[in-house]
Amino acid sequence: MNPAGNGREPVARPIGFPALPDGPDGASGPWNAADTLTDHDRLARGGAARWEPLGMSVTPALDLRGIGKSYGSVKVLDDVAFSAYPGEVTALVGDNGAGKTTLVKCIGGIHPFDTGEYRFEGRPVRVGSPRDATRLGIEIVHQDLALCENLDIVENLFLGRERRRGLALDEDTMEEMARTTLSGLSVRTMGSVRRRISTLSGGQRQTVAIARAVLWDSKVVVLDEPAAALGVAQTQQVLEIVRRLADRGLAVVLISHNMNDVFAVSDRIAALYLGRMVAQVSTADVTHRQVVELITSGTSGEPGKRR
Amino acid sequence: MMKGGPSQEDIRRHNLGTLLRFVHLRGPASRATLAESLGLNRSTIMALTADLTAAGLVREELPRGPGRRAGRPSLVVRPESTRVYVLAFEVGVDRLVVARVGLGGIVLDRREGVRSRDSDPADLIGVLVAGARSLVRKAERGAVCVGAAVGFPGTVRRSDDTIMFGPNLDVGDLRLGDLLSRRLGLGIPVSVCNDANLGALAEHERGAGVNSDNLIYLHGDVGVGGGIIAHGRLLTGDEGYGGEIGHMIVNPGGRPCACGSKGCLEAEVGERTLLAHAGREEIPGQPGRDAVRDIVASADAGDIVAREALQRVGTWLGFGVANLVNIFNPGLIVFGGTLRDIYLGAAAQIRSVLATGALAASREKVKLRTAALGDDTTLVGAAEFAFAEVLADPLQVLARLKAPEDSPV
Repeated sequence: MNPAGNGREPVARPIGFPALPDGPDGASGPWNAADTLTDHDRLARGGAARWEPLGMSVTPALDLRGIGKSYGSVKVLDDVAFSAYPGEVTALVGDNGAGKTTLVKCIGGIHPFDTGEYRFEGRPVRVGSPRDATRLGIEIVHQDLALCENLDIVENLFLGRERRRGLALDEDTMEEMARTTLSGLSVRTMGSVRRRISTLSGGQRQTVAIARAVLWDSKVVVLDEPAAALGVAQTQQVLEIVRRLADRGLAVVLISHNMNDVFAVSDRIAALYLGRMVAQVSTADVTHRQVVELITSGTSGEPGKRR
Repeated sequence: MMKGGPSQEDIRRHNLGTLLRFVHLRGPASRATLAESLGLNRSTIMALTADLTAAGLVREELPRGPGRRAGRPSLVVRPESTRVYVLAFEVGVDRLVVARVGLGGIVLDRREGVRSRDSDPADLIGVLVAGARSLVRKAERGAVCVGAAVGFPGTVRRSDDTIMFGPNLDVGDLRLGDLLSRRLGLGIPVSVCNDANLGALAEHERGAGVNSDNLIYLHGDVGVGGGIIAHGRLLTGDEGYGGEIGHMIVNPGGRPCACGSKGCLEAEVGERTLLAHAGREEIPGQPGRDAVRDIVASADAGDIVAREALQRVGTWLGFGVANLVNIFNPGLIVFGGTLRDIYLGAAAQIRSVLATGALAASREKVKLRTAALGDDTTLVGAAEFAFAEVLADPLQVLARLKAPEDSPV
């Protein structure tokens, strides 16, 4: 997924390069040197005129608008807009109680929201249950991972969605799929796919939970604090897996409290503050301080290049 | 003299190389896939694979696994990984690795050794040769070694592979390649390259940068090295010293660097600086990589001194990255070696500096990634470099090696 290409496409060069609309030095400079401009200059200058968030021309895989949700008289989400794009990691950040988990549960169809619009790949859809979400290709990896300790890796991956051949289970195919998926995540440290979950380390369990989410040709994967209880080495591995998922074209939503993790892998940061979405910005445009301000006060001193 | 178009022989050589390169980098492929990917017709593919098979570079076999499709299955072309190999050497400050890498990029066998920092550089060659010899002995009967290359942490002159400068591994003016080649006696030259340049090559061909033709690889060992791929090619500069990103001055008048200058990127983010910021001593015998990982782990566990050290280093690294982004407009920056750990531990600082210090247009799309090849970037790069010759002219090179002329001086 690289919608913009790598900037090497030969671009037909117009004769007499026009003044740029709002480039850094606008039309003030003498531009008669247009002949010596390379494509690189043009792309760099021309690109500077676009301030909209990246991927604007790409249809978001997941697009929520005006989401409201109350638990009884307690209002939890208020007019929340949120989108996740294919090929990108969108980090969802916010203080405790900002509504991150509720938003994720709405995305996964666990708690249907009260008001608002749910769009998936551009079309409005109704997600009333987790099954609806799964059918669309939306998978959630919950904080507690929801793995069965007494079952092995393959059994966990296919729990409730077992492959059958006639009346029997198609163990061979399932094992093969498990192996392919795990090796696709570049996991060599797992050993046999028939190991029980209870024998795996925290990082390995996290990997199994992620593998279960991507096994089904999913489009959107939401990870709720995947690195919360892991050591450094395992956290690093999980971050690299998260990044790889997006690089393969999935839309990944990452919930994290760790600013380093957020900056290490995300393309976009969505900040929730007291149930409202206060910013959804490109990670390339913000600083650590600005994101912390968004989380803690809902505004950032210098709004940066947001829409 | 006017030269016409490429001769039939040139075209054939080019196509043989292209086909071999395809199965070498992308793995076994059916004739049908090859025909489609290379844009050649099936009979040409058949003729080319026949030539390569006769030379012992590839073999053809029926596809494995259950064939569920109707019709005669297309034969799969596989590289002869165990029969055609190269020797790849990685000389690090703390470790030495020698590997026998088969066509297709498969590490068939490897020897790893720890190097103590105060060991005599003269011992280096002995250790490398011993490792390589034991690998060659284990090779299959009739297997051919088609090349060898060394990744070295220092600047290397391209014209004669002389190591000009390697401050972290003091060898001085050394013709390592010639020495190794003579001692190995396999009748092949041994190339020597800068380790981070090889890392860039490796990540470009087999790692995080497979789809990116404009990438920068940053490698952290004791020092900081770099490799720049522009338009799909390694930027070597006039004499081969290009890409010394570690000696880009980011902090004028800053910490002294081993190169004699002050405030080089390497001096501000290198292992020794990180240790100094964290108030730690270099422990003799402990590999630098482990020392860096310890600091990242302590920072994660809440040690404020370690955390601050990492943040300081991260900020300087951010300045370096911002400059690179402005100058080269890379699509991708890959952090390898110890910089992988530093990137993952200080990404907030690095990207904050990037957000404020780099041009919006250039930074908007740049991807920051960790090395997909992990700790083997240099080794894989050395192997790829060693394969370059046979991939450029497969039949000629193999013929020469199989029937060695009578003059191996």
